[in-house]
Amino acid sequence: MSKKLYSLIAKVMGVDISIIDDNSSPETIPSWDSFNSYVLLDELESEFKTQFTIDEVVSTKNVADIKYYLKIHGVALDD
Amino acid sequence: MEQKLSYYITKAKELKINDNDKKIRIALLSSFTINGIEETFRVKCAERNIECQTYLAGYNQYFQNILDDQSDLYKFSPDLTFLLLDTRSILGNLFHFPYSISSSERTTFIETKFKELSNLINTFTKKTNSKLIVTNFSIPSFSPYGISETKQEYGLKSMIIDLNNKLESEFMQNDSVYIYDFNSFVAKFGENNMFDFKQYFFGDIKVCLDYIPHLVNDLMAYVIASLGLGKRCIVLDLDNTLWGGIVGEDGFDGIKLGNTPPGNAYQEFQRVLLSLYQRGVLLAINSKNNPEDALKVINEHPDMILKKEHFACLKINWDDKVTNMKEIAEDLNFGLDYMVFFDDDPVNREFVKTRLPQVLTVDLPKDPSQYSKILQNMSEFNTLSITEEDTKRGKMYLEQQQRKQFESFATNLEDFLKELNLKVSILPADQFTIPRISQLTLKTNQFNLTTHRYQEEEIREFVQNNQFLVGCAQVEDKFGDNGITGVFIVKKDTPKQWTLDTFLLSCRVMGREVEKAIISHIIKKAKENGVERIRAQYIPTQKNKPVESFLPDCGFVKEGDYWYYSKPDFKAPGFLTIDEK
Repeated sequence: MSKKLYSLIAKVMGVDISIIDDNSSPETIPSWDSFNSYVLLDELESEFKTQFTIDEVVSTKNVADIKYYLKIHGVALDD
Repeated sequence: MEQKLSYYITKAKELKINDNDKKIRIALLSSFTINGIEETFRVKCAERNIECQTYLAGYNQYFQNILDDQSDLYKFSPDLTFLLLDTRSILGNLFHFPYSISSSERTTFIETKFKELSNLINTFTKKTNSKLIVTNFSIPSFSPYGISETKQEYGLKSMIIDLNNKLESEFMQNDSVYIYDFNSFVAKFGENNMFDFKQYFFGDIKVCLDYIPHLVNDLMAYVIASLGLGKRCIVLDLDNTLWGGIVGEDGFDGIKLGNTPPGNAYQEFQRVLLSLYQRGVLLAINSKNNPEDALKVINEHPDMILKKEHFACLKINWDDKVTNMKEIAEDLNFGLDYMVFFDDDPVNREFVKTRLPQVLTVDLPKDPSQYSKILQNMSEFNTLSITEEDTKRGKMYLEQQQRKQFESFATNLEDFLKELNLKVSILPADQFTIPRISQLTLKTNQFNLTTHRYQEEEIREFVQNNQFLVGCAQVEDKFGDNGITGVFIVKKDTPKQWTLDTFLLSCRVMGREVEKAIISHIIKKAKENGVERIRAQYIPTQKNKPVESFLPDCGFVKEGDYWYYSKPDFKAPGFLTIDEK
């Protein structure tokens, strides 16, 4: 499941999956600008069939936070 | 099935610059975030072999971009400019509080906004040759007055409706400005789907990301139309496409066609086809069938909406679909790339797709109730204006069939041409003929010496410039009126020399020596003006071989890159009547 998440982020940001880890964020990936954040949010919601609240989105700073909120929404990540 | 926006963003990165002969420069201005729209345009253009360059103005910078002569917008020099505006931006506080002011103040407010916007649009059109496409305003579904909204004098919705109507009327006759009905786009997909509050709060996104590709799909109609790439003919299978069932097996009375389901789905599909026929799209049949069975349905079935006279060409036989398709193209005398193919059978579709990729083969679902929607959602049939020739096209092609039959009975070509009673009227370029003149320069590929493409405003500039002579030819014969089918644009280089900038003939009247009537008119005009020689060029393309020998046939002599005509006069064939208006 993590791999699925990482590959989704890599696709949206246009980077290789090998550079994605839990600490990846707009600070570490140059293409992770505000517009790509909206694209990523849209992709996450349709891929994992869930809706994040506006507060959750605001407080998401990196990949680890995305995983945390996915878990809260009942999306099982297998690691 | 439309892709998500991320597909286009990713795909745009992989695009290679191809040297396509079809090129377009698109500028995008908006009052809200439209990131991703330029990537989508580039990919959708590439899918149609159009090389597309884009310019995206900064967020909400449309005013500055248009007013500043030195802005990057003008440096970019677009062919098409899209100005996407939204209701919240134009109304400001009144979007939420329309009833905080009186109805007369609301009227004044809309009047002021309309003037501001018209001035902005006119400023833009004065500074550039780009066509401008402005979105109209979506009517908000919510009103603070709820069900009482419709009881208010000049209420919130009336304000937007009025503004939209004002814009439409103001630019109705202006061929540089087009109003795109964005309100209908929102209605088609639903405000609740295409406006996402979360995306709006985060990024001022007012067309939600998943709907950007749908919006571009609609806007591509302007790209297709301005490049003259609109499809011109729909080729149809019969069994399970125009009616349900197989006539050869189910019989005349067994096919499903009528006002009850599933027959009404086919009837509706035929109605949509007929509506496109009435705007100038030709219809043809490509069916594996016993001709007697199929023709009996076409001629006699009471529930057929489409009649035999609506089909420019019928290929009902046991040949394969590709052979028939090529013959239809030959009979109608235009390229396969102007054809759309509808067939319920996936095997036939695949066969045509692989052998004739230039034909647009539509993926039809198993369910005929979806046919009409698919056809109505296609943006491929668009033209920027609908001329009288367009609305008569179907009838003209039918007359063409009669000519062909007549030709096959004639013993020789000369007798045939004599008996055709051809009359060529040379008409000036004026407000009535300019749209058609531009359309012909954009569309004509075969009998076209230089293939220069001109938009209406460019033709208008030639007409106003006394260094140019612009005219067109209307061709009539005993079978009917072929409409305006020839165009010439002559540049008056010096008092002694003129150059043929454009000389073209619609394929509809090729092989009738009409071109000689037109050239005789030009030569006569030149001699009347003391011109000693006329210069012309043949610029070869993949498609214009039919015009290759025209200049030497008329007595032009080649010197360097040009062909020259310096004889004192030119005799048009005797069987043509030339009427010079």
